Amino acid sequence: MLVRRLVLAVITLLLASSGFAEKVTTLTVWGMAITPDEKGTDVLVRQFERENPGVRVRLIGMGAGAMNPQKLMTAIVGGAPPDLIRQDRFTISDWASRGAFVPMNQFIERDKAARDPRTPTREQYYPAAWDETVYDGEVYGIPIGADNRVLYYNTDVFAKNADKLRKAGLDPARPPRTWEETLAYSKALTEFNADGTLKTAGFIPNYGNSWLYMFAFQNNASFMSPDGRTCTLYSKESEEALQFMKEGYEILGGYENALKFQSGFRGGENDPFAIGQVAMAINGDWMIANYSRYSPKAKFLTAPAPVPAARLARTGRFQNEKDPYITWSGGFAWSMPRGAPNQELAWKFIKWITSLEGRKVNVQAQAELDVSRGRRYIPRIEAMVEANEWLIKEYASGDNVYDQALRQHVAMMPYARLRPATFVGQKLWDEHVRAIEQACRGAQTPEEALKSGQEKVQIILDEFNNKKNYPEIDIRVPLGIAFVTVVLGLIGWVGWMIKKGDGRVSVTETKAGYLFIAPWIIGFLVFTLGPMLASLIFSFMQYDVLNPAHFVGFKNFTDVYVNDREMVLKAFTNVGYLAIVGIPLGLMTGLAIAMMLNTGVKGIRFYRTAYYLPSIAPAVAATFLWVWILNPDNARGLLNNFWNNTLFEWFAVAPPGWLTVESWAKPSLIVMGLWGAGGGMILWLAGLKGVPRTLYEAAEIDGASGWRQFLSVTLPQLSPLIFFNAIMAVIGVLQTFDGIYIITRGENMGPNDSLATPVYMLFNNGFAYFRMGYASALAWVIFLIVVLVTFFQFKIAPRWVHYEVNK
Amino acid sequence: MIDAGLVYFILTAFTWVGWIFLMRAALFGFKLAFDNYGFDKSKAIKAMTLSGGVGAVLLLLGTVIRKDLGRPAPEGLAIPVVWLYTPLAGWILIIGAFMAISRLIQWRTALTPEEGQNRFKGMLVFAVISGLGFWWLNTMQGQISVIRGAVPVPWQGLVAFMVLALVALAVMVRAEKATRSRGVAKTVINQLVLLAGAIVFGIPFAWMLITSFKEERDLANTDGIVWVPQVQLTHPYNDPERLQFDATYSGQPVKAIIEEKLAGGKVLMEVERPYNLRGRRFEANEGELKESPRMQQVWSGKYQTRDVTGFTAKDLPDGSREIEILTPADMKGQRFTESPENLEPVREPGLRWENYTDAIEWMPAETNNGLRYLINTLWLVVTSVVGTVLSCSLVAYGFSRLRFPGRDALFSVMLATMMLPGAVTMMPQFLIFRGLGWIDTLLPLWVPTFFGGAFNVFLLKQFFSTVPMELEEAARIDGCGYFRTFWQVMLPMVKPALAVISIWTFMGAWNNFMGPLIYVSTPSKMPLAYALNLFASDRGGDQALMMAFATMTTIPVLLLFFFAQKYFIEGVQLSGLGGR
Repeated sequence: MLVRRLVLAVITLLLASSGFAEKVTTLTVWGMAITPDEKGTDVLVRQFERENPGVRVRLIGMGAGAMNPQKLMTAIVGGAPPDLIRQDRFTISDWASRGAFVPMNQFIERDKAARDPRTPTREQYYPAAWDETVYDGEVYGIPIGADNRVLYYNTDVFAKNADKLRKAGLDPARPPRTWEETLAYSKALTEFNADGTLKTAGFIPNYGNSWLYMFAFQNNASFMSPDGRTCTLYSKESEEALQFMKEGYEILGGYENALKFQSGFRGGENDPFAIGQVAMAINGDWMIANYSRYSPKAKFLTAPAPVPAARLARTGRFQNEKDPYITWSGGFAWSMPRGAPNQELAWKFIKWITSLEGRKVNVQAQAELDVSRGRRYIPRIEAMVEANEWLIKEYASGDNVYDQALRQHVAMMPYARLRPATFVGQKLWDEHVRAIEQACRGAQTPEEALKSGQEKVQIILDEFNNKKNYPEIDIRVPLGIAFVTVVLGLIGWVGWMIKKGDGRVSVTETKAGYLFIAPWIIGFLVFTLGPMLASLIFSFMQYDVLNPAHFVGFKNFTDVYVNDREMVLKAFTNVGYLAIVGIPLGLMTGLAIAMMLNTGVKGIRFYRTAYYLPSIAPAVAATFLWVWILNPDNARGLLNNFWNNTLFEWFAVAPPGWLTVESWAKPSLIVMGLWGAGGGMILWLAGLKGVPRTLYEAAEIDGASGWRQFLSVTLPQLSPLIFFNAIMAVIGVLQTFDGIYIITRGENMGPNDSLATPVYMLFNNGFAYFRMGYASALAWVIFLIVVLVTFFQFKIAPRWVHYEVNK
Repeated sequence: MIDAGLVYFILTAFTWVGWIFLMRAALFGFKLAFDNYGFDKSKAIKAMTLSGGVGAVLLLLGTVIRKDLGRPAPEGLAIPVVWLYTPLAGWILIIGAFMAISRLIQWRTALTPEEGQNRFKGMLVFAVISGLGFWWLNTMQGQISVIRGAVPVPWQGLVAFMVLALVALAVMVRAEKATRSRGVAKTVINQLVLLAGAIVFGIPFAWMLITSFKEERDLANTDGIVWVPQVQLTHPYNDPERLQFDATYSGQPVKAIIEEKLAGGKVLMEVERPYNLRGRRFEANEGELKESPRMQQVWSGKYQTRDVTGFTAKDLPDGSREIEILTPADMKGQRFTESPENLEPVREPGLRWENYTDAIEWMPAETNNGLRYLINTLWLVVTSVVGTVLSCSLVAYGFSRLRFPGRDALFSVMLATMMLPGAVTMMPQFLIFRGLGWIDTLLPLWVPTFFGGAFNVFLLKQFFSTVPMELEEAARIDGCGYFRTFWQVMLPMVKPALAVISIWTFMGAWNNFMGPLIYVSTPSKMPLAYALNLFASDRGGDQALMMAFATMTTIPVLLLFFFAQKYFIEGVQLSGLGGR
């Protein structure tokens, strides 16, 4: 009866929900969220809707567009992509090389021929911006907006330290122009506290937004060979640039010291540059609005970012160089994912939103909103040359500091270099970040750091370049054979079993039995055994679902073991840490609470509920909550505020950065896990109730102390329970994923990969890059390790797990 | 090796041990005074004087010898404290050494040779552990440093604490006399610890709730944590130049402004709120419109040398505000212009419940203010529960009560799959569902539940095994087939277990995160937990909204818990799944 009612209810719900569908064409746009402070996009979209009746534009952030490719890739591979995506330009080649984006040349050519005034053409854009979206001669995105970086320097700090600067032979009235000067200025402006920590930093090489790319470009380094087949992350030029960064950190007392200093930085009105904690920073044009909004009293000026002295003087290698200054530029572009349902409409939308007219509508609406809220409107630079000219004329022609800064940025656009258009763009970026860290920390020399990064990028390049050397294979053949064999084998087995019987069992009962367990058998075949076999087959392939598979033999396994060894080891070390430190702590906390509750205290029901509740809080909500509690800012994070008022007051131990620093990231996870220790508490409570009273009485008569009783009665009696829990917990920890994904937003693996876990790696390789083969190999490695660990646990169990003899 | 830290450590220990001895002396004193039962008086007096003497000497040493705190000491009285700062290896070394020393003492003071032998062995083990810790510490070049600290206490506080401690001691001694048991003190301490623990476990929830009701201003407060949220007062006011009206846009109530007057008494309206419809235009009859004043913020400031409060009548392009005065009464209605630096918000303790409506308003329009997510999640929960309960009980019954060849082999295979990490089958499953065209639907999330899960089957099998055989045989004799026996006789017997499994499945479906992450990308098809994460990442900076989101997803689970508490607790006990 109940079931029937439930089914009815379900059907009603289903019918009701299908009634929501609207009878309009929906244009789904990813990578853009509506926020209260943004009105320009709103107005643009609404005007498009009015121009195209029957069309609804749906804007949604989806965490896409920038650093997290997983959602978009999964949607494209799954055949349910959005119509449009606003995508970080430097990643576009990557997508294009996989065949994941729609080439746009045909659209452009067609509309150009039809003389559509909104047709985007290369001439309208800065060549640097346009060319970033071109892969193999095809355009894969239309640029929207740009950014570049210049030197911001705080004139208050310069004025205050004028004497010091003069003493060092430097002019306090102007900013440094060369690397050498920058270091000299930084040295003069940096101040230390008595304990060696920083009080004021002159110039933090990687603070703001410079990265190695900035300095390497200035030194004429290129990161890829012109044919795109070889990675040249290491070159004399980039080594010099990294050396410059390293020296910059040495002035500040080392990289770690600078990081410690930076961990205290805050945003908004306490921006470290605006309040003079940092005297000079290379930063992008997005900062202007921040300074004007939160730090209107800050005094700063901008200048082109300092370059190598030889470049400015045009000597040596730079003899024939016409650009004295260099910046690097990035930005976004509108692209269409492969399989996008409404391509014509999407193209129309792109044309509208990237056109000069569209840019004007956007800017005007935004300006109006900002002004009505009592804020200065500060535009962002555009990728379109004419749009920038118009912007400056309308909104940045004054002589206040903000307008000057914006004009400085725009003036630098022609000197912009960009990250190489390569399909390994993301990997190159990741490796270059790692190289900065390794070199500045002093763990490797700049040369070693760059070379090791280069090798890693080259592996992926080679994989792509050498793909043709491996035989192409139709993935359906091995899969089909495997599946048919298994199904036939199983049917045969069941049939044989039914036929064979064992004399005592009737055939009807056997048939009924197999019918009863049929759901599990089917599920086992379809969702477990079949996929496992498939995964085994994939592990010998190179397969990205969108393109045909290639048979590569054991390459994926050697990749796991040799090329990616460091990362894989790190991931397993991380879960090992969580297992070795976290699991016992969790078990002990639960047990401790249970033991206290088990002494017959009053109000056990209240306490039980209070301790148990956290363990059922939804993981997403709990993670949000803890990220907020663990906020490293003393004024915001609950825990650090408490720490600041107690431990810091008493011991002068500064509160840690929790999830934002490498050494505290995993302890943070453990703290979060301990909050849920109440789940275990209930279990121990039941276990403790099962310990015979007589054992304690006997122990008491023998004169055993409380602690002794715990060791020789309670623990052995609970040991089967502990054993079972330990096994399940280890399997669970090896698969840690949800919480970490939510914490990192899927964008990275925590500070210096301190939150990388095997399943997270697998997920990224599998669903963000669809390296099915590699991910499958990794999956099997994880599986084998789980089996090994579990086997080991069973092996040592007889030594400590105590089972009653009669059981 | 004798450095300032070590000296500080020793002297701190002197101070603390000194206090303990003094307290001990006081305890003996009270015992002598109130309750001299069961011990030798002269011995007690000796013990008292000895404790008092040692305590006084230690305290004196701890206080008189100059200690270097390494930084300026706090003013007034301060209790010295220390903390050892060391990597894990250091802790192993320290704890190992400590245990070894205590075993050494126990060995020397053992009553029987057997015990002595045990203690001696224990000492050796801990000595080895400690040695290993030392070796590890050495290889990693770690250091043990003593962090020197001091807890400042006002001397009134110290006196009060002393008095309290003495009174407590006296009460304990009196109580002991009354009851002749040591239970009271233990129970009190136990309760206190449990209560403190419960508060610690509860604070995060409280913090979530409080944050979800905070204004931006409280969140950005740089002075510290705000426990009592405050809200800025508002005043209803409709700017005659931009009158706002209540209207209906495609069946949904909205607030809109008139964009253009059309012929025939019609007007073209533009939606202002909710945000997810902002900018949409529609036609309406002017006669049917109802004015809907905006809630304007109230400020306090100075006007003509008097303290006034008033609300923002208009934001001016240069950043200043036009304020219409509310108080004092004689100036009411007057207007003046002021720049924001000279205006203070008028705030009072209160809850900004608008965080919740804002959070809902940000959901995409087609999700019907987030209701869609709830429906999706409910759908997921209902189907998963039905699927799990049906399939698992069928399979479990087959495995437990029917005899057929190959049964035990298959059952072992099923148990083995419990160890299989889901990650191994994740990608091929994706391809299967892709082949079926199920991507971007909820199907991949609930259809698999209809095929039995190893863990639940195992559990139900255990339950079925406890049902007496006779029951089934009786049904068989009455002519019931296998299915009817299962459905009508056996299933009702395992209802409690089914309830437990339903609850787990509910929790699993409610919390499912990785599934939607892989399979669902259209907002109107997302379940709640995932949508929450997604929209939070769009609005990541706004903690109040995030906490409002979090509260909204947590509350249904908590409600379920309170209604089905029994099954939750039984469930955990059944499973042995806790302890994580």
